[in-house]
Amino acid sequence: MIRFEKVTKRYPGPGRPALDQVTLDIDKGEFVYLVGQSGSGKSTALRLVLRELRPTTGRVFVAGKEINRMAGWKVPRLRRQIGTVFQDFRLLPNKTVAENVAFAQQVIGKSHKEISKAVPATLELVGLKDKADRMPDELSGGEQQRVAVARAYVNQPMILIADEPTGNLDPATSVGIMNLLGDINAAGTTVVMATHDHGIVDQFTKRVIELEHGKVVRDEAAGGYGFQHEEG
Amino acid sequence: MQLRHVFSELRTGLRRNLSMHLAVIVTLFVSLTLAGVGILVQREATKTVDELGNELQIRINLCTEDDPSLRRGLENCASGEITDAQRDRVEEELEASPEVESFEFETKQESFERAYEQNKRKDRGYLFEGEGAVVTVEKWPAAYWVTLKTPDEADGIISAVEGLDGVASIIDQREVMNQIFGIMTVLKYGSWIGSGVLLLAALLQVANTIRLAALARRREIGIMRLVGASTLYIALPFLLEALVTAVIGVGLAAGALAAFQWWGVEQGMAERVTFLPWVDWNDYAQALIGTFPPGIVILGPALTLIPTLLLTRKYVKV
Repeated sequence: MIRFEKVTKRYPGPGRPALDQVTLDIDKGEFVYLVGQSGSGKSTALRLVLRELRPTTGRVFVAGKEINRMAGWKVPRLRRQIGTVFQDFRLLPNKTVAENVAFAQQVIGKSHKEISKAVPATLELVGLKDKADRMPDELSGGEQQRVAVARAYVNQPMILIADEPTGNLDPATSVGIMNLLGDINAAGTTVVMATHDHGIVDQFTKRVIELEHGKVVRDEAAGGYGFQHEEG
Repeated sequence: MQLRHVFSELRTGLRRNLSMHLAVIVTLFVSLTLAGVGILVQREATKTVDELGNELQIRINLCTEDDPSLRRGLENCASGEITDAQRDRVEEELEASPEVESFEFETKQESFERAYEQNKRKDRGYLFEGEGAVVTVEKWPAAYWVTLKTPDEADGIISAVEGLDGVASIIDQREVMNQIFGIMTVLKYGSWIGSGVLLLAALLQVANTIRLAALARRREIGIMRLVGASTLYIALPFLLEALVTAVIGVGLAAGALAAFQWWGVEQGMAERVTFLPWVDWNDYAQALIGTFPPGIVILGPALTLIPTLLLTRKYVKV
């Protein structure tokens, strides 16, 4: 589903590359943690998958297509197959919960009929059916992140990318979000989650890819957060 | 594509940036009006040359007995009424000149009658009439009417003829017309330069508006990009905003130009200055939808949409 072939990404300016000859392969339906310190290259890897960035050298494949060679006008089509969740939720403050989820469908041209079916179904999945008409600032952090997950998932993407989705949440709430991501993964969506959260990685054991200074230093089918890099 | 969503975005966009949009509209309005006036003046000049250019003649007045030029100290008429030999000499010069298209001899009688008709229209016919007439056929000069090949080249023939015996004076009709053309040229370039400067201001304002709008909507735009909205879809509210301001600016300018055409030309200049042809509603239509120079209906939207397209590509990059 996602394949990196000797991917190197250098940002302008001096210093070592953000990613250095990274090769990895994530299959359809996998759940993968991407761990490592700040600056280890996790975010760069995620942005390469979204083609917000292009590799300096090497090749990135998503769903069998080499996306760094993809024409610019095809990029939106690629992104419709990828849902994205962030640490800071990124909800639109002037729209209700339902409108926030519907927004992701409206802007890619889904019909009113499709939207009025998909939005309530997705809100039910994330457990916010009865809060559809609330504004984001009336919700708790965990609930806001559920809205963000609903928005990322409402278009039924093949891949869900989550960048520190539990970073702003307390442990109990985080567990709820992890269960939700687990459900989405169980339904067939490939999930790639960048995280710092030891507790989560150790509790919900999945494949772990650890990056350090832009290199893959560990890739375990069912690992914990790790031993060498236990920082806050 | 969900048009309802696009239009609601457009509505909020217009409201959010109302003062900026108004500034763009006013600048567009003034600059497009000036551009339109420039086009009308240019068409007026072309019309005048087309219609009067061939009539831009030079009149060579020939000597009469006791010619008034003698009293101005000119010696050309010292021998009194022009002789046949002197006339042949003048015709020789006219035939030899490369600047002359054709020429025509007007007898004293014909010339007198023409002057009489012109003065009657100005209520000065009494000067030509009756026993005590101030102007008589005898005192009136015969003349050559010289038609030029190009209206602005006559210096050669004038200098060749003006010193000849029997030539009393040369009346260059182009002098009056050249003043009119001079005024038109100043008006034309003046309005185009003014309009150019203001259009530049309009362009910069469009750019500012887009930057502000992109900033105000950056969260939405970020999400739209992530969920895979097409660039066109993201840019559409911006383009529509630009189009709305352009349409209003063009509409106001078209109205101002129509007022100029009606009160300034049809009811104004055309009534007072009757010897010139004047721009009509057909020329007005050309100032609106002409292709070269582009009319304001083309100019306005182009000047807002093209920078919007370029800038949204920059600020809303996929």
